[in-house]
Amino acid sequence: MSEYAHPEVLVSTDWVHEHLNDPKVKLVEIDVDTQAYSAGHVPGAVGFNWQTQLQDTVRRDIVSKAELERLLGEAGISPDDTIVVYGDNNNWFAAYGFWLLKLYGHEDVRLMNGGRVKWLDEDDKELTAEAPDVTPTTYRARGEHPELRAKVGDILKIIEAGDHNLVDVRSPDEFTGKVIAPPGMSETAQRGGHIPGAKNIPWSSAVAEDGTFKSLGELQQIYQNGQGIDPAKPTVAYCRIGERSSHTWFVLKYLLGIDDVRNYDGSWTEYGNLIGQPIER
Amino acid sequence: MDHRTRVYDDVTELLPSEENPSPMVRLNRLSPAPETFPLFAKLEWMNPFGSVKDRAASYLLRDLEERGELGADTNGNGRPPRGIVEPTSGNTGISLATLASARGYPMLAVVPNKVPLEKKVLLKIAGAELEVVNDDLCPSPGMGDGSINLAKTYAKAQRDRYAMPNQYENEANVRAHLETTGPEIWRQTGGRVTHVFLSLGTCGTVTGLGRFLKEKNPEIRIHAVQPTEGHDVPGLRNVRQLEVSKLFDPSLIDEIHEIDYEIAYTRALELARKEGLLAGPSAGLIHEGARRVVERGGAGFGVLIFPDNVFKYTSNLVKHIPALAEGTTPPNQPSRANPAQQPQAVQATPTNPGGER
Repeated sequence: MSEYAHPEVLVSTDWVHEHLNDPKVKLVEIDVDTQAYSAGHVPGAVGFNWQTQLQDTVRRDIVSKAELERLLGEAGISPDDTIVVYGDNNNWFAAYGFWLLKLYGHEDVRLMNGGRVKWLDEDDKELTAEAPDVTPTTYRARGEHPELRAKVGDILKIIEAGDHNLVDVRSPDEFTGKVIAPPGMSETAQRGGHIPGAKNIPWSSAVAEDGTFKSLGELQQIYQNGQGIDPAKPTVAYCRIGERSSHTWFVLKYLLGIDDVRNYDGSWTEYGNLIGQPIER
Repeated sequence: MDHRTRVYDDVTELLPSEENPSPMVRLNRLSPAPETFPLFAKLEWMNPFGSVKDRAASYLLRDLEERGELGADTNGNGRPPRGIVEPTSGNTGISLATLASARGYPMLAVVPNKVPLEKKVLLKIAGAELEVVNDDLCPSPGMGDGSINLAKTYAKAQRDRYAMPNQYENEANVRAHLETTGPEIWRQTGGRVTHVFLSLGTCGTVTGLGRFLKEKNPEIRIHAVQPTEGHDVPGLRNVRQLEVSKLFDPSLIDEIHEIDYEIAYTRALELARKEGLLAGPSAGLIHEGARRVVERGGAGFGVLIFPDNVFKYTSNLVKHIPALAEGTTPPNQPSRANPAQQPQAVQATPTNPGGER
């Protein structure tokens, strides 16, 4: 893992295992399947629910800074702590949580490579259903990084200027508009297709057979040589609701080391509902 | 127990064995070459809990019991007895839950959402608790199967409450077929069997009976049928989904036939209407595979493993053959409550069909 541009943000299951009793390391599980945490989690990990805790439950938006501060405080986390996030489905929502934490200025956030399934399948790793012993703190965020987030206004300018790498990480069928969402997904859009000028590099392109990230050389081959992502250009990743694109955002920014990468969390469920905007299929 | 009078002290005495095999019935009207290549359906729904999975379930449970993994004595402290957790598309769960209930320990079944409602309700009737998983997300490399992962999570995180039989990895699943299905077929056919047709799920059946029969006669051909990708035939796995099973041994399979999954439903209907066999959709798929092999020509003696009957799949059948739902409610009456239907109702019922009145 040391070859990546920013290797410090990725930790192995063994690293987490060695730091289970480290008071400065706080574990956070975030899953697509919100049943999974209560069935069993890494000892000491708190669980965040992406549906009810990481987004505004009234208007469509990410959780507010104040709400996230409250959530982190209740989880016993301080701004100086190392937060390690992990989750199911190759860390989809764990990557989303990582992005949110960075957006609201938490300094030291890391992702557990391979996610919960890698931990589950390793014989020396324990799981527990017991709630962690938490001492609440008062968390004050140390500043924000809005430059990590793309909003629809930015997207419209990018379409006009054509000066960005625009990466659509959804499946090819979603990209071409054959389907609007993967089967079983409730969030959808009025139209299928993709943002003009986007390249389709499905999020799973970054993942090896064992669920961990591919090597730097393989990632460069896929994103730069294969798909022509120019690392010198500013870059935006999007998907359907912003979780799979967080995964690719992480890859582009921290593993490949592209400086200016934003996650468009509105993604297709925003863009595909706009009136009068161009769509490619 | 006496299998001649069929009077038993305990339902588990009905479990299949060489002495009490599941019946084999000759296919008559749906057999392309009845003289040169007879086909016999082995009716696994005649097992006590209704499917081929009774075999694996009883062996898996006995395996856990023999290892002292189950029951009230394993945790103490007056907590509920240690039970089982298992990912299941239904049949294994129904067999396991019934056996577990009869022995007094709880069962948690982790079930993919696409399993038909009948099976989910049957699991509850049999006493299982249900945890339903949305399994149809974007494919995730190296992540395996959602229901298997969740069941493993329970078994690992809550060891005091759950042991996991794990039909996908436990050799007891293979042993069930090595010691029962294989020997039954050999004895029932008098050693004449040349072809076995079956489907793949955990691969316990194919690996167990394949090992036994190929040892008896290496010339026996094992044909596996599987539905095309994106299928909707509960309990079956497409070859690209088989990596989840540690029991898959490709060396025992001579041919794999990939068949359009819609055919499973139409063939199941034919089996009911032409052979009087109320077979489920996986049996329909297996029959189609056998038919294709027989029609290539040549002689043989085929045994078809029919995993279960159609009773659990009525809603699935209606989904694939909508005509089955027609006429299941009273014919439309012209009514003030529903005036829109009036003209259609008049058209559908000729006013004077025979010219009489």
